Amino acid sequence: MAEEQINGVIITFFSTASAVGKTLISINMASELAREGYSVCLADFDLQFGDIRNYLRLNPEYTITDLCDRIKADSGSSLMPMLTTYAYEGVAFQVIPNPNKLEEAYNLSPETIIDVLKNLRMQYDYIIVDTTSMFSVLNLALLDISTIVTFLGIVDFIPTIKNMKIGNETLRTLNYDSNKIRLVLNRSDSKTHIQLKDVVSILGEDFYHILHNDFISASESIASGIPLVLNGQDSELTQELRALVARYTNKGYQTTETQKKNSWLSKIFR
Amino acid sequence: MINNNVMLVEGNRLYLEQLSNIIRETETVTLVARFRDAKDALGQGMVFTPNIILLDADNPNIMSLLEEFHRVYPHADIICTGEKWSAESSSLYVNAGAKCFLVKPFSSEELLDAIFAFSKPAAGGKEAKVMTFFSPKGKSGKTTLIANLAMAISRKTNASVGIIDADLQFGDMAFFFNLKPQSTIVEAARDTDFLSPVSLNSYFVPVDKNVSILCGTKEPSLIDKVSIHSLETIINMARTMFQYVLIDVPAGFNPTSIAAAEMSDTTYIVTMLNGSGFEVQHIQRSLDIFTTWPDYKERVKIILTRVEPCTITSKQQMEELIGYPVVGIIPNAYLDVATAADDGRMALDLKPNSPLSQRINYLAGRITKEKQDNDDDF
Repeated sequence: MAEEQINGVIITFFSTASAVGKTLISINMASELAREGYSVCLADFDLQFGDIRNYLRLNPEYTITDLCDRIKADSGSSLMPMLTTYAYEGVAFQVIPNPNKLEEAYNLSPETIIDVLKNLRMQYDYIIVDTTSMFSVLNLALLDISTIVTFLGIVDFIPTIKNMKIGNETLRTLNYDSNKIRLVLNRSDSKTHIQLKDVVSILGEDFYHILHNDFISASESIASGIPLVLNGQDSELTQELRALVARYTNKGYQTTETQKKNSWLSKIFR
Repeated sequence: MINNNVMLVEGNRLYLEQLSNIIRETETVTLVARFRDAKDALGQGMVFTPNIILLDADNPNIMSLLEEFHRVYPHADIICTGEKWSAESSSLYVNAGAKCFLVKPFSSEELLDAIFAFSKPAAGGKEAKVMTFFSPKGKSGKTTLIANLAMAISRKTNASVGIIDADLQFGDMAFFFNLKPQSTIVEAARDTDFLSPVSLNSYFVPVDKNVSILCGTKEPSLIDKVSIHSLETIINMARTMFQYVLIDVPAGFNPTSIAAAEMSDTTYIVTMLNGSGFEVQHIQRSLDIFTTWPDYKERVKIILTRVEPCTITSKQQMEELIGYPVVGIIPNAYLDVATAADDGRMALDLKPNSPLSQRINYLAGRITKEKQDNDDDF
């Protein structure tokens, strides 16, 4: 125990408008980080209706419910064996799936979930967290513990933008460091008659990063169960997703050749 | 013009004075007689030909008094007054012939509301049909659906319709109707202990002849100001104020959505088909919870939005996938809906003959006529 503990980076995807692409982007961020050789855990904290297990076609043995039970029994126990692994062509990361049953989701305590994260962040370089679109007790605790909060928005219609504005203002009242909260725009050129510059002026703030609309690639990725950054098709959206990850890791993204050498699996077995 | 000749029957000496003064100060209303003893009012009051009777409901014999007053003054409206509103006693009074219930001391505005504005078709003693619109995840299209459905119901039947925006963090109903409300569900919840249906009425913002809205919170942190108990009281009062009450709730299962669903005659599970294919699982997960109600078949119904193509075949396919009947399908009309919402207008008004309007009108017909759900039309 004399060894210094290193806590990994927790990146939470949050929004106050629904269906903005949190799940798709968090999956791709986890995949890209894993591809680059980092150890990554992806947590589905849309407890009631999470889709990560669906998008990745997982059949988990354990879910967050089991992790919570374990950590309540023994706060120091190793949770990693209870995570579900997603692997595709040599790239692998681990997933905390949402509960199998809705009533489990309803009864999980936010404090215990945070304890699970605190335990796991000592084991991983990155923990990526997907959430629901509201200020719940759990989400507020997740925002607190996160290194970076990606506040995701889309240019849709006015009620959506109103909710983004209110959400962004509420986030500001929580007084996090300004570089902790990063405003990312998804599906920037989707079918709408609202201008991006109008949204920026309503929000009073520029977007940190912009992802373009590529409905077809996104739908194909969901239908195939393979993340965009792993499916070998170098679409514009894939490049933008990689660029976002590169900005979060403070370096340019690595090519396929280098990732093979120091993939996460090779780090475990070194 | 009809004279509003009020007879006040009030057992409490202090209230008698206080209420008399308020009635005297109220324009278009005349205080023609006042009694502390109900028996006096029954025996002597008719010489003053009152057409409105304010009757003290704190009198222990109120139920038999109501009956007698009704017999002696068959053409007068009887308004019960009491120190506190409760759903049970209020509906007892209304069923026994009272027009409505006023919490005392009332203001001139509330008195006038009770006499005029509240004489809407709803106050006929029959309680409203209460409907909660639940969605597993956000972005279900339910706010659009509720807004348009409320208008369609009221136009079809001339019924009074109330919308309660209980989507307590990110309710959009005010935006859909382009409202900047003075009072919202937060103020109504704060005041529930002092309100009766008559006074709650003023917290609703009228948006059409027979449609009014209790708007949602203005910012997410205000969610804590609306307790489940006060929400339940508001729903109970609304039940006596309108013929149809439509409630918007936050996505997923939470204390708010559960309380509203529990109190509703019908809960609609509304889900947008956005192409990921996993919506069916979300509906089934939700049904697993709702089917614990013994009468779930009558109370839980499914509406799907953004269904393309919006045909009876699609509906039947979805029913097969879900394993549960679907009562309504709404087509994708993203641009129409967005244009309407951005302008604070109804898609129903912008394109009255569009497939979207047709489907919504159909659903409204189904709700108002209470058609059997196993009808094969769609």
